[in-house]
Amino acid sequence: MAPFIASLVPFILFAPLVGAATIALFGPYVHRRASAAVGSASVLLSFVIAAAFAIVVWHLPAAEQAAFTHSRFLGYWVHLPPDFVISFRLLVDPLSLLWILVITGVGFLIHLYSVGYMAADKNYRTFFAYMNIFVFAMLLLVMADNFLWLLVGWGGVGFASYILIGFYYDRNTAVLAARKALIMNVIGDVGIMVAIFLMYAHVGSLAYQTVFGQVDAIGTTALTWIGIWLFVGAVAKSAQLPLQTWLPDAMEGPTPVSALIHAATMVTAGVYLVARAHPIYDRAPVAAEIVAVVGGLTALFAATIGTVQYDIKRVLAYSTMSQIGYMIMAVGIGAYAAGAFHFLTHAFFKALLFMAAGVVIHNLAGEQDIRKMGGLAKRMPFAYWTFLVGTLALAGIAPFAGFFSKDAILDQALTLHHPWLYGAGTAAAFLTAFYMFRLLFLTFFTGAYRGEGEPHHDTPWTMSVPVALLAALSVAGGWIVLPGHDALSPALRASFADSLVIQDLSGFNWQVSIGTLILALAGIVLAYALYEVPSGAREWVRSQFGVMRAVLTNAYYFDAIYHVAFEVPTYALAGLLARVFDRDVIGALPRAFTALATWLGDVADRWETGYLRRYGLSIVVGVALLLVFYVVLTRGALWGAP
Amino acid sequence: MPQIPLAAYLGLSSALFVIGAVGFLLRRNPITMLMAIELMWNAGNLAFAAFARNFADMSGQIFVFIVITVAAAEAAIALAIVVMVFRRRADVDVDDISVLRG
Repeated sequence: MAPFIASLVPFILFAPLVGAATIALFGPYVHRRASAAVGSASVLLSFVIAAAFAIVVWHLPAAEQAAFTHSRFLGYWVHLPPDFVISFRLLVDPLSLLWILVITGVGFLIHLYSVGYMAADKNYRTFFAYMNIFVFAMLLLVMADNFLWLLVGWGGVGFASYILIGFYYDRNTAVLAARKALIMNVIGDVGIMVAIFLMYAHVGSLAYQTVFGQVDAIGTTALTWIGIWLFVGAVAKSAQLPLQTWLPDAMEGPTPVSALIHAATMVTAGVYLVARAHPIYDRAPVAAEIVAVVGGLTALFAATIGTVQYDIKRVLAYSTMSQIGYMIMAVGIGAYAAGAFHFLTHAFFKALLFMAAGVVIHNLAGEQDIRKMGGLAKRMPFAYWTFLVGTLALAGIAPFAGFFSKDAILDQALTLHHPWLYGAGTAAAFLTAFYMFRLLFLTFFTGAYRGEGEPHHDTPWTMSVPVALLAALSVAGGWIVLPGHDALSPALRASFADSLVIQDLSGFNWQVSIGTLILALAGIVLAYALYEVPSGAREWVRSQFGVMRAVLTNAYYFDAIYHVAFEVPTYALAGLLARVFDRDVIGALPRAFTALATWLGDVADRWETGYLRRYGLSIVVGVALLLVFYVVLTRGALWGAP
Repeated sequence: MPQIPLAAYLGLSSALFVIGAVGFLLRRNPITMLMAIELMWNAGNLAFAAFARNFADMSGQIFVFIVITVAAAEAAIALAIVVMVFRRRADVDVDDISVLRG
């Protein structure tokens, strides 16, 4: 390992933080573009270091590479040996390196895109500072070397997500969405906290190495519970059932935020967590089964909702939820490399889709309703072609990126004997192709433009260059795993060497691939028939499936159920406490103290008459009483008299 | 020369002190009250001097000088206040000067 590049590892983590601090301290005194430059450059610096690091690792001899892991000690958080030592170490192994590269690489492109997209915003500088804080927290999450630092990063990205969803803070819906996301994510944080308590009780340490080294000494029951509680965190962060309702609402944030946080990086933290904790899940089959089933259900569940939404970003949000369902399913069945692979390609094409959609929204002055779009292919050819690439990649059409990664997951599901999950994933693949092409047709075709104002055309290079780059990656990103040639799982071998499931994606199941490809094409044809061929088919389908449509439009009424089950009782209880407990119990105590002080003041006040003779009398009486006390009661004993 | 017993001095001192205290409490003219206070000071002085002589210890007499000094300072300040009040109000009655009451 080249020592020079290893010495730069802390810069990967701290460059974005320094960038955020610089913007916060000096942003107001310089040109607003300078803040954007600092924000983007600091993330680019992280990416360059991480990429150099990755290249060095890539060129190591195979045996060294297969055992590669770099841990950098930076200090102690808690140092109470021998029982309680928590160090601060940065961990760079293939798994975290993959995440670091995506976070900083895609993160930089989205920063660059924001330079143009947010140009007119009044809080331009703040935006870049917030985005840098997010990148820092996310890097901390994946570079942590023990579960406590992971939780710090975990909470940090939740906070960054909160401030960025609520970035348009003068919009009530944005503030409510931010609050919802924070509350749901905190449920997950508590889950991880419980897992940490359990780990500490059973192992006495929180470092990955120690915990994973002693998994065989922990009973299966305890491992299962640790796995389940960790997964509670993953469910909340990755918007899986049943904590998924915050993600569609999170689309209230600016589009670059949706692309970076709510598509490419933060929401995949759950996938990272399960993959990172694979020694636990490998030995806790029940917990792993729960992970896989939740992932598969979410993949299907979110895909069905995606078919009826009309907000361009909400469709993409449900598709994100569905694709992360795939990844969670993959890591649940033990196909960690396949899950990581899908994370990689998904980061490319989903960021691309959001940013291409952002170009459309930007040029339509904030319009997001696809019923008011249509016919935009001719007016915005750049947005159309890039969106098409992203759609093909997401729908899993060969040879675009999503084809390889999605099929890798479905293939592994069959290989590892999970036919039901394979079925759910395949059905979701069909629905994905359908709803994405529905979105594409309604936005860019289906007759003429239906909006009110004429779209304007201003797509600065800062927006078009990142979109074009991501389009290229969405085409080629899947080619690192080709039939018979698998470059990804050997590279990840060092992270999964101890996994009980063999990580190999080079085997290519043609039946699976051709089957899903045919289903995806069928989805496209169905979307074409319903939205492009002028016939009564659309109305007929609507009339036949009215109830189902209502259920899907309301996302299975999860929000309504949660409202009745949690919000209403909480508000009722809070109202009761505010009216009764707060006033008559909490409030009674300070009121009693003030009453006492007032009474004492009144008593003392009566003595202060202002009449000199009264004071004199007080002195005389006081002296007389003292005399009586000393002379009569103590008989002069205090003077030492005999 | 027959010795005057200590008890006689203390009796005189007590009498002076009580007269002073009662005068201070009953009179409303600040000048008279000041004179009453002086009477109490001197009752104390007399007791000091009598004890000093009785026990042949000079520290009591030295204390008397200190008391006289302090009493003079006190009288100067008090008279200055009385003069200031008199200038403002033309009539001096301590019961009227109760406006500084909190």
